[in-house]
Amino acid sequence: MRKGIWEEFDGYDDIRTEIEASRLAAKKRSFTLDFADQYIDRLHPHRLVLEVADLIIESGDTLTFRLVPTDSMLPPFLAGQYLALYLEVDGICTSRPYSISSPPNQIGYYDITVKRVPNGLVSNFLLDQTRKGDRLTFSGPQGNFYFNPLVHGSTMICIAGGSGITPFMSMIREIIERGLSRKVILYYGNTSSDDIIFHEALAQIADQFERIRYIPVIENASNDYQGQCGLITGDLIQETAGSMAEATFFLCGPQGMYDFCLPQIDQLGIPHRKIRKELYGPPADISQDPAWPPDIIPDQQYSVSVKGGPKISAQASVPLLVSLEKHGVVPPSICRSGECSMCRVKVLAGKVFQPANTPVRKSDSQYGYIHACVSYPLTDLEILI
Amino acid sequence: MDKVDVTVIGAGNGGLTAAAALAQKGLNVLLLERHNIPGGCATSFCRGRFEFEIALHQLSGLGTPEMPGPLRMSLDKLGVMDDLDFVQISDLYSVHNPDGFHIALKPDKDQVQATLKQAFPHEKEAIASFFDLVYQYANDMVGAFIFRDPEPSREKYPRLYSYAFKNAGEVLNDFFSDPLLKAVLSVYWGYLGVSIDQLSFAYLAMVLWQYLEFKPYHVKGGSQALSNAIFNKFLSNGGSAKFNCGAKQILTTGDTVAGVITDRGDQIVCDYVVSNVSPIVTYGLMIGEEKIPENTITEVKSRQLSTSAMTMFIGFDCEPEQLGINESTNFLMMDTDMSIRNHERMRRIDIEDELMVLSCYDVSDPEFSPPGTCQANIVTLKYGEPWLKIPPQQYLDAKFRCAEQMLQRVEQIYPDIRIHIEEIEVGTPLTHMRYLGHPLGAIYGFEQQTKDSLFFQPGRYSPIKGLYFAGGWAGDNGFEPTLRSGVAAARSIAKQLDQI
Repeated sequence: MRKGIWEEFDGYDDIRTEIEASRLAAKKRSFTLDFADQYIDRLHPHRLVLEVADLIIESGDTLTFRLVPTDSMLPPFLAGQYLALYLEVDGICTSRPYSISSPPNQIGYYDITVKRVPNGLVSNFLLDQTRKGDRLTFSGPQGNFYFNPLVHGSTMICIAGGSGITPFMSMIREIIERGLSRKVILYYGNTSSDDIIFHEALAQIADQFERIRYIPVIENASNDYQGQCGLITGDLIQETAGSMAEATFFLCGPQGMYDFCLPQIDQLGIPHRKIRKELYGPPADISQDPAWPPDIIPDQQYSVSVKGGPKISAQASVPLLVSLEKHGVVPPSICRSGECSMCRVKVLAGKVFQPANTPVRKSDSQYGYIHACVSYPLTDLEILI
Repeated sequence: MDKVDVTVIGAGNGGLTAAAALAQKGLNVLLLERHNIPGGCATSFCRGRFEFEIALHQLSGLGTPEMPGPLRMSLDKLGVMDDLDFVQISDLYSVHNPDGFHIALKPDKDQVQATLKQAFPHEKEAIASFFDLVYQYANDMVGAFIFRDPEPSREKYPRLYSYAFKNAGEVLNDFFSDPLLKAVLSVYWGYLGVSIDQLSFAYLAMVLWQYLEFKPYHVKGGSQALSNAIFNKFLSNGGSAKFNCGAKQILTTGDTVAGVITDRGDQIVCDYVVSNVSPIVTYGLMIGEEKIPENTITEVKSRQLSTSAMTMFIGFDCEPEQLGINESTNFLMMDTDMSIRNHERMRRIDIEDELMVLSCYDVSDPEFSPPGTCQANIVTLKYGEPWLKIPPQQYLDAKFRCAEQMLQRVEQIYPDIRIHIEEIEVGTPLTHMRYLGHPLGAIYGFEQQTKDSLFFQPGRYSPIKGLYFAGGWAGDNGFEPTLRSGVAAARSIAKQLDQI
């Protein structure tokens, strides 16, 4: 083919003129578009360094960390979203997701509320060793647990367990502070009444605002306890919630709460699409998973060789991500609950256990990719990060 | 310090095929990708029980094993066809108007004309001669360019010489008087990002011809399956990759590539780089404007950035028929305006009357979503720049406001959709800026106005020796062109190496 035959095509001369004119005009234009990147960075920063401006005692084992920006404005978020905290504790680089408990209309600070977890590496570090003025590194706001005005009805039926109350605090505060008309019925389950976080604040809000109802439910209540006792059952919801036609259910709490409450809600005839469930980390004891292979001893150790990296040992019942971090191999992570896919690694040899319904892309599964935060070694492994 | 033969920056379609083709030739290739997953636009994400397709609507250029299209041949050579399961989409496209007009076209030359003639009997002859022109133009194009005729001439290829640069809107006006018919025939401008009054006839003709001849396809597992298959082939041919790691700098000695410095600060020594990144970022940020000849910079600056998009990904708790979705590819149209107004609509933040496409993969592939569910990918084109004028604190309100407007538009055609929504995710032009890293979220690279499209595209070559481009910034956009662009870049490098 002769080069440039298009120069003979009809209309070429006009195009040539246009090209020349556009090049002339282009000389004055700036080349890069850094301003756009800076804008995106304000919405979705890769990392946010925040300073602990205040520590607020919520209960005996729970603190709220009030976090203020150090170098820029805080990105906007939706009530219910979380931040991942990145830190080094005892020489281990790790991360933890924490829901923001302050409302999104509060643009001066974020609150995260942290409850002590027995033997919890990060929660104990935060509660015991973090002081006012310390700086902590976070991700930007993340997550899909929020009221979506496109589809969610006028009533939110919220079911919280333990520290799962934090995203609801953000939602409720936003509703009252911004004067939104949305109704909330909050069922808040705790083992004992001493464990309730935000009890006074919630009781006061419920007292003052008719559209916010607060129903604490205590599992092991003392005999003289006046309120609701036991678990959050379908019957309780049926008796107290009124019409559920316009309601969307929001659940945030430990796996045990989901295992109990989801079938209860199901029995109320609530369709799947009206139930939102927040992530809550990996299951506390994976060997209790109904699909856990019975021949695998939970504390069995396996060797994991990372291609181009070290060979480490990993316990069957410990998430692979945790074992990797413990040995200085730190894949990126955000949600640590199987959903965000940041800690996606490829298994080259060996087998892992992943709970059913872990949202791994179909073709990822086909090529051996797993989400390391909810994957447990069942054999020796060879992986590619 | 690592030494490789080639560093490929970016694992989008072009970067992936470039890397895979180079590794297949036995070269030592390092692939860098900012994200944790290969694919760029060709990826998916999970929400609840759904896996949402990001960008693939209708794969072109595949053809059948008996009559393979150019893409099938490229994928075959890369050795990935056996790893992939393609599903032919049963319809070409449908157009829906809120006043009840609906036409469903089939991807077949005769059927499409029969359907159009039935709906527009007063334009019968014009329809036949329009499709004749489309086919004649395509034949000219294939003869002159695909088969590389050494002696092309106006006499041999009359349609090519007279129609290539002609405005597509003008050609439609020459043939037809019914504005609705013209609008129905021009909806594919949405896949090209330039409204029909600014698009060259060459594109309209080739896109119609391509889909009619090689049929529209979808991939089982979505475009992520395609990306994963190509990446897997790259790995098994000895390639290595770093995810969550882009390139900070391309090192040069004089006017020649010397290496790459990654985001993590690692230095890679190499003589060749394939950039699957825009020339704006490649020249401006990775190499430095001062090291690039002024006329190259001026040329890049003279091109406009293409549109971005507002996208909605919806998972429904029922099957498509229950929603009234009976075709895979649905263009939702408010009016038949083909003027510059389409362009103005794209420059506005809010959604009113713009053209939209709703793709429902489950119509042709019932296994795409979980049993008893389906998903839709809804897109309308929007420029990125107006979104940068929104104060960050108001961004989320704007996002939901526009999504609500978009949903209301969809409800005009499919009234029951809202009550079946189980998962919904919204992408704005800023979302595309964030995930693609394209300046101003331009999903189609440089805008394909006639002066910057066809023979006037930047192409894969650069003034820096050893640096080649792949992907939508180098040439045409869409899956087929970008996948093939990487193969072309690899071929150029292999040719260079053979000469040394």
